[in-house]
Amino acid sequence: MNNFFYAKLAGVNIRKNAKVYVPYLLTCIFTVAAYYMMSALSMNPGIDNIELGSGSLRVCLQLGVWVISLFSVIFIFYTNSFLMKRRKKEIGLYNVLGMGKGHLSRMIFYETLYIAAISLVVGFGLGILLDKTAFLVLANLMESEVPLGFYVSIDAIRNALILFGVLYLLIFLNSLQQIHLTNPIELLRGGQMGEKEPKSRWLLALVGTILLGSGYWIAVTITNPVQAFTLFFFAVILVILGTYCLFTAGSIAALKILRKNRRFYYKTNHFIAVSGMIYRMKQNAVGLANICVLSTMVLVMVSSTCSMYFGMEDMIDKTYARDIELRVNSNSEEIGEAVDSVVKEVLQEEGTEAQNLVQYLYLNCDAQKINGVYEIRPEKLNNGMAVSEYYAITFTTVDEYNKAMGTQKTLEDGEVLLYSGEGSYDGDVFPLADENWKIREKLTEFPPNGAAAIMMTSHLGVVVKDFETLQKLEKMQQFPGVDYSDYTNLQYSYAFDLDNDAAEEAVTKKLNYSFEKLADEAVKNGGGLYMLNVVVKSTERTMYLGLVGGLLFVGVFLGTLFIMATILIIYYKQISEGYDDKERFTIMEKVGMDKREIRRTIRSQVLTVFFLPLIMAGVHTAFAFPMIYRILQLLALSNVGLYLLCTGITFLIFAVLYGLIYSLTARTYYKIIS
Amino acid sequence: MSILEVNHLKKVYTTRFGGSHVQALSDVSFSVEQGEFVAIMGESGSGKTTLLNILATLDRPTSGEVLLAGKNVLSIREKDLAAFRRDNLGFVFQDFNLLDTFSIQDNIFLPLVLSGKKYPEMKERLAPIASRLEITSLLKKFPYEVSGGQKQRTAVARALITEPQLILADEPTGALDSRSADSLLRLFEEINHSGQTILMVTHSIKAASSAGRVLFIKDGEVFHQIYRGGHSQEEMYQKISDTLTLLATRSSSSAEGGVCIE
Repeated sequence: MNNFFYAKLAGVNIRKNAKVYVPYLLTCIFTVAAYYMMSALSMNPGIDNIELGSGSLRVCLQLGVWVISLFSVIFIFYTNSFLMKRRKKEIGLYNVLGMGKGHLSRMIFYETLYIAAISLVVGFGLGILLDKTAFLVLANLMESEVPLGFYVSIDAIRNALILFGVLYLLIFLNSLQQIHLTNPIELLRGGQMGEKEPKSRWLLALVGTILLGSGYWIAVTITNPVQAFTLFFFAVILVILGTYCLFTAGSIAALKILRKNRRFYYKTNHFIAVSGMIYRMKQNAVGLANICVLSTMVLVMVSSTCSMYFGMEDMIDKTYARDIELRVNSNSEEIGEAVDSVVKEVLQEEGTEAQNLVQYLYLNCDAQKINGVYEIRPEKLNNGMAVSEYYAITFTTVDEYNKAMGTQKTLEDGEVLLYSGEGSYDGDVFPLADENWKIREKLTEFPPNGAAAIMMTSHLGVVVKDFETLQKLEKMQQFPGVDYSDYTNLQYSYAFDLDNDAAEEAVTKKLNYSFEKLADEAVKNGGGLYMLNVVVKSTERTMYLGLVGGLLFVGVFLGTLFIMATILIIYYKQISEGYDDKERFTIMEKVGMDKREIRRTIRSQVLTVFFLPLIMAGVHTAFAFPMIYRILQLLALSNVGLYLLCTGITFLIFAVLYGLIYSLTARTYYKIIS
Repeated sequence: MSILEVNHLKKVYTTRFGGSHVQALSDVSFSVEQGEFVAIMGESGSGKTTLLNILATLDRPTSGEVLLAGKNVLSIREKDLAAFRRDNLGFVFQDFNLLDTFSIQDNIFLPLVLSGKKYPEMKERLAPIASRLEITSLLKKFPYEVSGGQKQRTAVARALITEPQLILADEPTGALDSRSADSLLRLFEEINHSGQTILMVTHSIKAASSAGRVLFIKDGEVFHQIYRGGHSQEEMYQKISDTLTLLATRSSSSAEGGVCIE
């Protein structure tokens, strides 16, 4: 009987506090659903149907599961603490009216139980329903067939039960602790805390400025893609910390400086706005910083994954210039003819022809630029070379170049032709190891070379006079004292398109078979051919799609989740501000302020507070742009226009959504204050 | 010369759907002379707050007129009301109504800033008032840092700084302990002696006994009034107390007529 009373009271409480409980409940439901979906997807056996990319896709999804778990813990705790703050007065009243802390605990236990039960049941329902849709979207992104029928993942449900069970238990304990630590009077006044004038923490503001500044500085000044990749997370952490410092301490410090300026401060508009903002910032700083960080994450995540997805074809085309590329490690000058005859035979059998054929012999070297000299001798290279010193150099002979490009270049001794890719090369001397080569001509074109093309700005193509020079170079980059008799770095590339795509699979199979035979023969005949690789563009594309499609899916999925979190934080912010402003509103009216005037100043304050995070998120994204662009370059995505477009559209859509959220939540706010 | 004249004020509240009518004021008329200190007493629900809200131009009467310094305040346009209130009326409330976002000094400055005054002028006006109200040392503090009595003195300073025609006080001692209440009432008397007109609504006999005249409101009408004349505060206290007793007993037998004690 007694137990029944608390169970009932808990139910009544939730219904009475619907204004704050409904959004909380919705958050819990969506979080559970999101967790279930991501978790079930990552374990979905259907993923194995997506043949080649399934491995990288699964890794992406599992990463998503981790991010969602972390997010759930932080976010549900955050909303719950807001809830408890709002309800302190009510709980204090129960306490004053004679409910002991034991009774209160029992009441809160039931409340937490209800929330947990509802959110898990509805969340699973929603998750299972939407899971299929999500899988369809994912499969569509992966350009794969989907088996029909529902799939319910028991493992995902079990994992979710464990995660959220522990989470709700922690939340219950946290609420208990809050009740036990405070006395009824504090509980009664709980809702009105935060009247104190915030202290200005100059040091923190300064630290915040420095952190943010250095984060931005790193983002803007790093030009090397590899360096950008390694420093990206460092910069992200700097910016996040800086954002929190600046929102909490910096904003207040800045406002206080304004307040010190009497000429500025004692003006009708500034007077109310500045003092009002100080308090608003004090109460909302963390919430606003949360919104800002979440928004930035959404923007960066969605825009970069979109660019990767939409820039994929471009990147694949660059790395794999032809449908099929044969890579043969061989130090024989005649290898080209051997490969050519094998390929022609295979293609003839399959009734198709090679098109856009490019074949040439080259040598790929890792080089380090030391004091302006390109060094390729391994004994001369420094250990721990800085990424900015690293270069990938492709050497070829002038004959091979002419054959591949259909040109008629000539070279004298000691001369080279130089291609500097997307970077620039100053001067007309090419200093390599101990020799200075004269650059006869700077090339604008170079035969496709996938491995090196990925390096972008630090890729050089060098055309030397003859095969002997090439062999000399090869010797230079061998480690002294190592036996290279059955290995070579010289590579022969034989790349072509098929005029009949349908034949691709059969051709690939036969090529693999024929090359194995060729290699066996070579071994019998005493060397000259050491390694064979058949690189098929469509296969590479599928593999890459698994990664990029997975990333895009996870990016958009998390983006949606983060937007939901943003909505909720904003909604709660509006409610709590509404209650505080209501009182101020009446006082100002009595003291002699026009209703419209009050409305105007309050509106401008609310707008400032509201759109500050969006503006900051925009600035963050803008500064992140060059850095992310470098990282995308590392993934061979160099289309600035595309990335700019993706970022712009993402920001635009986000800003519209944000504005929409504002107009929706503002209504609740104005309902409270009037 | 009368600074405030209230003629046949009537206020009827109608519920939202027009169902029932509640008559808060039925017919209130009185006037306040320049330099007077008038207290208005009455039970809860007698219409005191409604009357004060109408005088403060926060609410409009159903009929009747209010003249402040000869000007009909009801004819002032809605958008000029706030400025009118700021320039002509000073307010002291039971719960102080200080803004916790402002320091004590800025709370006092608020009406002046709203009127667009310059800082040096505000500073100049504040100095004598602050020293008279003994809050000079508190000016830099914030409302949450000072006591109730100090908060109320801040509110008085805020009311005085615009040099209003009339100060309206709504239960100014309601939230104060007896010592602070006493000192606030003495302050009111002092201010009044220096020529400031004050109209105070109160429950407290003690507060009312410091006024020069007490009006009693009952069932939405001015029921009775007593002048302090040459009487001491103790005698005034006794008279008010007697009147209230009489009011309470008469109301059970008959609501008619006034009782003259003077």
